[in-house]
Amino acid sequence: MIEFAQLSYRYPDQPQVCLDQVSLALPAGSFTLVIGPSGSGKSTLLRCLNGLVPHFSGGEVAGSVRIAAYDPIALGPRVMSRHVGMVFQSPEAQFVLERVEDEIAFALEHAAVPREQLRIRVEEVLDLLDLAPLRDRLLTTLSGGERQRVAIAATLALQPEVLVLDEPTSQLDPQSADDVLQALVRLNHDLGLTIVLAEHRSERVLPMVDLVVALDRAGRVVSGHPREILANSPLCPPLITVARAAGWQPLPLSVKEARPFATRQGLAQQDAIAVGKTGEAGRASATGPTRQQRPYLEIRSLEAGYGTTPVLRNLDLTIAAGEITLLMGRNGIGKSTLLKCMIGLLRPRRGEIRIAGHSIAGRDVAAISRELACLPQEPESMLFADTVADELRTTLRNHRLPVNEALIDELLAQLGLSERRERYPRDLSIGERQRVALGAISITRPGGLLLDEPTRGLDYEAKAMLGGLLRQWSREGTAIIVVSHDVEFVAEIADRVLILGQGGLIADGPPWNVLGNSPLFAPQIARIFPGRGWLTASDALQGLQRG
Amino acid sequence: MTPRSLLLVHPVTWTIWLGTTLLTVSLTRNPLYLLLLLFGLTLVAETERPTGRATPLDPIFFAVIAVSFGALFNAATIRYGDTVLVALPASWWLIGGPITLEAVVFGMINGLVLSALVAGFGAFGTAMPISALISLVPRAFYPLAVVMSVAVTYVPLTIRLAGQVREAQQLRGHQVRVWRDGLPLLLPLLIGGLERALQLAEAMAARGFAADPPSNQVRMMLVGGLAALFAGLLLQFAWGQVVAASLTLLIGTGLILWALRESGQQAPRTRYRVYRRGIRDMMVLLGAGLTLIAVLAPWPGRASLAYTPYPTLQMPIFEPLLALALMGLLMPVAVRLGDHYLP
Amino acid sequence: MHGNLQAKICNLKWSDMRDRLMSGMIIGFTTVIGIIAFLYPFWLPTVATGGVGGAHAGTAPVILTTLVGLSFLALLLEAQRAAEHALLVALLGVLVAMNAILRFIDVALPLPGGFSPIFVLIILTGYLFGGSFGFLMGTMTLLVSALITGGVGPWLPFQMLTAGWVGLTAPLCRGPIQLLGGVGRYREVLVLAVFGALWGFGYGAIMNLWFWPFASGPVEQYWQTGIGFIETVRRYLTFYLATSLLWDVAGSLGNGLLIAAFGGPILRVLRRFQRRFAFVLRHVPLSEGL
Repeated sequence: MIEFAQLSYRYPDQPQVCLDQVSLALPAGSFTLVIGPSGSGKSTLLRCLNGLVPHFSGGEVAGSVRIAAYDPIALGPRVMSRHVGMVFQSPEAQFVLERVEDEIAFALEHAAVPREQLRIRVEEVLDLLDLAPLRDRLLTTLSGGERQRVAIAATLALQPEVLVLDEPTSQLDPQSADDVLQALVRLNHDLGLTIVLAEHRSERVLPMVDLVVALDRAGRVVSGHPREILANSPLCPPLITVARAAGWQPLPLSVKEARPFATRQGLAQQDAIAVGKTGEAGRASATGPTRQQRPYLEIRSLEAGYGTTPVLRNLDLTIAAGEITLLMGRNGIGKSTLLKCMIGLLRPRRGEIRIAGHSIAGRDVAAISRELACLPQEPESMLFADTVADELRTTLRNHRLPVNEALIDELLAQLGLSERRERYPRDLSIGERQRVALGAISITRPGGLLLDEPTRGLDYEAKAMLGGLLRQWSREGTAIIVVSHDVEFVAEIADRVLILGQGGLIADGPPWNVLGNSPLFAPQIARIFPGRGWLTASDALQGLQRG
Repeated sequence: MTPRSLLLVHPVTWTIWLGTTLLTVSLTRNPLYLLLLLFGLTLVAETERPTGRATPLDPIFFAVIAVSFGALFNAATIRYGDTVLVALPASWWLIGGPITLEAVVFGMINGLVLSALVAGFGAFGTAMPISALISLVPRAFYPLAVVMSVAVTYVPLTIRLAGQVREAQQLRGHQVRVWRDGLPLLLPLLIGGLERALQLAEAMAARGFAADPPSNQVRMMLVGGLAALFAGLLLQFAWGQVVAASLTLLIGTGLILWALRESGQQAPRTRYRVYRRGIRDMMVLLGAGLTLIAVLAPWPGRASLAYTPYPTLQMPIFEPLLALALMGLLMPVAVRLGDHYLP
Repeated sequence: MHGNLQAKICNLKWSDMRDRLMSGMIIGFTTVIGIIAFLYPFWLPTVATGGVGGAHAGTAPVILTTLVGLSFLALLLEAQRAAEHALLVALLGVLVAMNAILRFIDVALPLPGGFSPIFVLIILTGYLFGGSFGFLMGTMTLLVSALITGGVGPWLPFQMLTAGWVGLTAPLCRGPIQLLGGVGRYREVLVLAVFGALWGFGYGAIMNLWFWPFASGPVEQYWQTGIGFIETVRRYLTFYLATSLLWDVAGSLGNGLLIAAFGGPILRVLRRFQRRFAFVLRHVPLSEGL
């Protein structure tokens, strides 16, 4: 179905090739996962499938691509749109029209599909993706997951044989991401649609795919069965890391496949009494002693919300300096509301918030942010200067602080951005851009740091780097509060986990207590080794070594 | 109540209605009829307004301003008419001289004409959803219709983005002290918009979107048509060759319309949303047709459309039959209110 | 299958020449017809009273309006060539959305007179991406903002045409800027700011001329009251002083100041973007035509 033969590609004005002699063969009806670090050319590879590369990007191509009998490099995206559908990362920036139905019909109208057939096709894809109840809705009123399903429907309306998706779930929360991925599995199984999917978080997708294509930074590619590729891949979910270290064969790709190995080794204890003990023991070295008890942020009987019904009621919370606190909870439960109250973007109806002993009432956002820095969900909306260093200077000037170049150098070194100092921030990778924004808010050396969904769109490497950075800052005494859906990340860095339920906190404690037994929030490792109190790959590896 | 946002008649019917309204208003100088039209059209706008949507420009409010301004300006600059109200010293620059009642009335009529036109457009604008308006764009301008759709879709998104940028900048201590502080708000919005445009363009291309530029043949027709129009203009107004002028102008018009048609047929498209025509359209068209006949056909009552206050102010003639015919433009109100009783 | 795809896009020289010639002619004719039509309130009375060739004064406004409408359509179709690539369609859509919001602010806030922030982007994109792009940017901004605010009125086509002209003529700044050797420097922004300030007056004047027949009444009045050319100009002057002078001064100053303050950084952002997609933006046809 899809064949790459010695395909090389170089972007205009770039010294090195992006894809280097790629040869691949993907059979019809297969479900392929493309993995690789950011900037390794995953998107470029996918865009070769429908001719966006090189027709949309310029540059030089050698070698060939064939989709069935079609040559996308010669035919271009217009012709290829009939054979290859493509869905992109952003759930916002791929729509032309206001309403679901019109959006789905857009490509068909453009292709002059006769009206009777047009109606049938729109109905078909609406049903195929469970969108019929949403057909009249405005796209702006849909959730991210629903929008991505509309995007899939809109491409499928042209009845392509291949569906290509470029990180379609990276901007979504886990629940919406699952909905989208389930829809893909159904399309693959029921219609025999050939699917090519690029995705950072392979743990969610691995059990479903037939083939994995792995790219490296030099533009080279290996492909094969998921077990073969993941046996050697440097990027892998915690489950695979543990399984490889433990020598489990054949390599398990899902929690379900891994459980028998754990049980056979007698590591999956169902005994609830053991939880506390081993859990504490397993993690003691990681956290215990560094804990400081000086309160940094105090919230007393907070009530806040929009309109008539309060979102938060009577909430009390104290956060200590040097503590990493993770805030979790369903969408729309009030996590963002709480965050907005802490930094003064939303005035609470009742209650008091004190930062480092001083009430924030009556202080404006700019003044609070100097003491308690906040990284918003879309860190890009901060960046506009010509260089990375300029971004940091801008913040200092905003606060009317002296521009101290030594301080800037030091922070950039911490952020791993020293070499990027004079680059244009918007040209950097997602992870780097996020760190620039992090630098821009923390150059004032605040005592506390709030991060809203910081792992969105990050690959494993960038996530690890962010985790390390947060750990370092917390050791230096910064209080860190993170809102996240990403349980693996939470398990990795949290000292304390809070779960927000209807109106207030429903759980508060160390991660192994809160996450370990939760059916909803338990990370992969906790599910494989229930009752051991292990949450992360390193917990499990240490545990396995010991016994 | 029926949901008022629903479009009851075909967009093309609305367009014909608007055309008739504009023609009728511009042929009328009789203040009695103009007032009638103004109130009638305001009523149409009001019944068509979707619940919850504010009238952007109240036609009556606009009329008060336009009529006062018209009266003031005309009275101050026109020295004609028999009924002198007051005489300003002739030495006053530009405005010196007698102020006449006739000039005041003439100015008020000017204001009324403009207000009635605005009311007609207002009714049309509130009745038509934006998507219906875009569907009226001729096929030759398909890429521009897409641009319009994209823009309309991106307006709410951009507003949300602007809020996001404002919060993000506050979080790094940004405060608007002088107006140049707008830059940190504007630039991220612009950069974000450009990046979004790129992503959107890829998504559109991946779904087969590509506009076809007009062929050179079409452009030649345009050049020819414009040249003919220009020549016709000179013939008509500079050299006074009326017959030759009319002929040339017709040729030019024909060439340009033909070019539009040609370029519209270059790439076939279909439409998903179809608006049906039915009894309601017939009613609105009949109403408009009645009005059109009354203002164009040569019958005695038609003379009452014209009116001039000069040289001595007189009461305008009121012809009940003609007034009734003008009410044909109110048919959309009847359709909207009687929607339940229609099949 | 080895080679540089950009080579395919580059046009041959002679077809390039023909392209420019056709663009130039379409723009030229439209502009001349437009100027004649917009100035008709001044010369029509003289034509009418002189009774040249018995041209009936009553039909003149209809003829002229039709002509302007037709040439506007022709120009729009020609300028639409700028929107032939999906990227330019998307870019126009997104920028028009931004600009329409700016206009929304301008309508909602009681800003002094003709001070409108929409011209900054119209002029800057016209200057950088070419006259056609600027023309579409101007017309579409006015159209879309009218649609979303519900402000569709008889003035809309005139606003569209005039705002389009602003963008269409923006590439004229390239000459003076090159002469001053100021690309990328403050002089460049200065030239653009002066250009914007001039158009502040121009826009006001053209919109006045649209409104003028409603302020002065139909043409027949000249027959009845017997006022000639001088009289008309005197009246227009009064009208202008009473309604527009302050307005236009504010608009002109606003345009100039906004471009002077924000022009530099916005140009830098647009240029960065243009570099990334140089191969797409290269075949914008009218850019060299002006």
